[in-house]
Amino acid sequence: MNMLDARMAAETSRRRLLAAGVLGAVGAAVPAIAQRTVDLHLPGGNAERTLTSAFPGKGSMILQRTRPPLLETPMEVFDRSIFTPNDRFFVRWHWADIPTAVDVETFRLRVGGHVTRPLSIGLAQLLRLPRVEIPAVNQCSGNSRGLFQPRVAGAQWGHGAMGNAKWLGVRLRDILDLAGVKAGAVQVRFGALDRPLTPDGPDFAKSLDIDHARDGEVMIAFGMNGEQLPMLNGFPIRLVVPGWYSTYWIKALNSIQVLPHADDHYWMAKAYKIPATPRANVAPGSKDFPTIPINRMIPRSWMTSLPDGQVVAWEPSIPVGGIAMGGDCGMAKVDVSSDGGRTWYRTALGPDEGRYGFRRWDGRVPLRRGTNAIMTRCWNTRGVAQPATPIWNPGGYMRGNIETTHVVAA
Amino acid sequence: MRAPSTGLLAGGVIALTAIVLVLVGAPHDRPSPPPRAPSATGVPASSVGARGVRLTSTAIELPADEAIFPEGPRSDLVNANCTACHSASMALDQPRLSAEQWRATVTKMREVYKAPVRAADVDAIVQYLVGMPGQSGGAPSGSAQDPAPNVPPSRS
Ligand code: HEC
Repeated sequence: MNMLDARMAAETSRRRLLAAGVLGAVGAAVPAIAQRTVDLHLPGGNAERTLTSAFPGKGSMILQRTRPPLLETPMEVFDRSIFTPNDRFFVRWHWADIPTAVDVETFRLRVGGHVTRPLSIGLAQLLRLPRVEIPAVNQCSGNSRGLFQPRVAGAQWGHGAMGNAKWLGVRLRDILDLAGVKAGAVQVRFGALDRPLTPDGPDFAKSLDIDHARDGEVMIAFGMNGEQLPMLNGFPIRLVVPGWYSTYWIKALNSIQVLPHADDHYWMAKAYKIPATPRANVAPGSKDFPTIPINRMIPRSWMTSLPDGQVVAWEPSIPVGGIAMGGDCGMAKVDVSSDGGRTWYRTALGPDEGRYGFRRWDGRVPLRRGTNAIMTRCWNTRGVAQPATPIWNPGGYMRGNIETTHVVAA
Repeated sequence: MRAPSTGLLAGGVIALTAIVLVLVGAPHDRPSPPPRAPSATGVPASSVGARGVRLTSTAIELPADEAIFPEGPRSDLVNANCTACHSASMALDQPRLSAEQWRATVTKMREVYKAPVRAADVDAIVQYLVGMPGQSGGAPSGSAQDPAPNVPPSRS
């Protein structure tokens, strides 16, 4: 095939679709009450999930768990815009006692611990502080866990435990400066309105090193894509940690504690730990390896223009498109292959809307009759490329290998 | 970080079903009063604003989850022990796991999350989990990563 024509590629290929290979009973004619299901194509099965619109502030989402809610974004949402609409943004809570009502007049964010002036900040006060807006991808540490082989326990996410939004708020550094961080501060712990269901169960809280917390990028967001946050995404305020996995992006943030020592509570010391190995990879079955808290994200890319298993009418080549992210820095380039990785084609990138966000890519690949394994591979601005082979670790964290979408040309 | 809802669990003393009911049904003693939500009452929700941004008090109602574990040997025990903190689907949607992996999960529920599961019931619960729909038949797909049965895995 000759040069790819990006403009051609941007045109949608939907009109050539013959059959929906993925969604059960997909289509506008289906009544709203009908239970539609989605097959997440997880290896080994048990991968059928229902689509639900029963959650307040949320449109159609893949139901991973009702209580506490785990809602996954269907892949086609990512095809429409690099910004994920608030009502399709994924939802993830740990303990079931989550906030369902917040009074903006009485809500307070408390700042204390190793500081000279403990604070109790109201939302009206927060809104008067200097503002920043950062587009950034919020991705669950265990996004795509369901694709690990061998499979591991935990939320069995497909690729949709992620989203990109424009976060509007204030710098965490400004808040910490108002409180006056004392010498000897080591970490800052963030707590929220959600609570454990057992008296001595571990309350969900996460910590960042003091220098990270003061880097001027970590922020407290009250705006998401120009609106207030949906309750299920952390209303009224949440932490935003650009380039880092979602576990640190504490929702319904109401407590900031500066610590003169490293956080030794469960959610930092025991949970969300990755092997201290390159790419967080260990041989399946390994245990007793040294671990560190999960931290920066890595580059990833997906084709979103066609769902896995889609059947299309054969033509010599088809346009393909999708999204990519750099991880903890910008995204540099995306290549695409339709022969299982033997031949790679350049793609054209959409506008750069911020280095921590998604970036659109579009390209064109040749099509053979039968099944075509379409792969996408991206590089970030540090030169880190997505590897071909998947990693494994017992937590199912940090998947980042080249992903494959199968398209059948009939 | 609110104070945990104390007194909800009196480990071992009350019958298990009673504990489950208390867990699920306990009123939430939240510190802030419920907001005036934009509702049928016609009372406008309270809001705060500054510099072009306005935040409005919000209240939501979450869908209930009535789903329980499918009928099977000792499903009563599993329903009593494994639906208080999260939907049954948390377990039902897992990939095929070995008995050792299920035992490690139940151990984690007890030791980390303080699930009031009696030690004497663990064997029967594990047996149900291994045989429940989605699990039975064929070799466990995740058998290569069996964690030590007594060490709660640190995943989440
Ligand atoms: C005291 C509360 C509580 C009880 C009771 C409880 N769990 Fe959990 N369980 C949790 C929490 C908290 C999580 C973590 C949820 C999350 O990460 O979203 C969890 C997670 C899980 C997971 C996901 C894997 C993992 O390791 O996180 C499975 C499977 C699971 N529970 C099964 C069970 C089974 C089976 C029972 C009955 C023996 C049970 N749970 C009882 C609190 C509980």
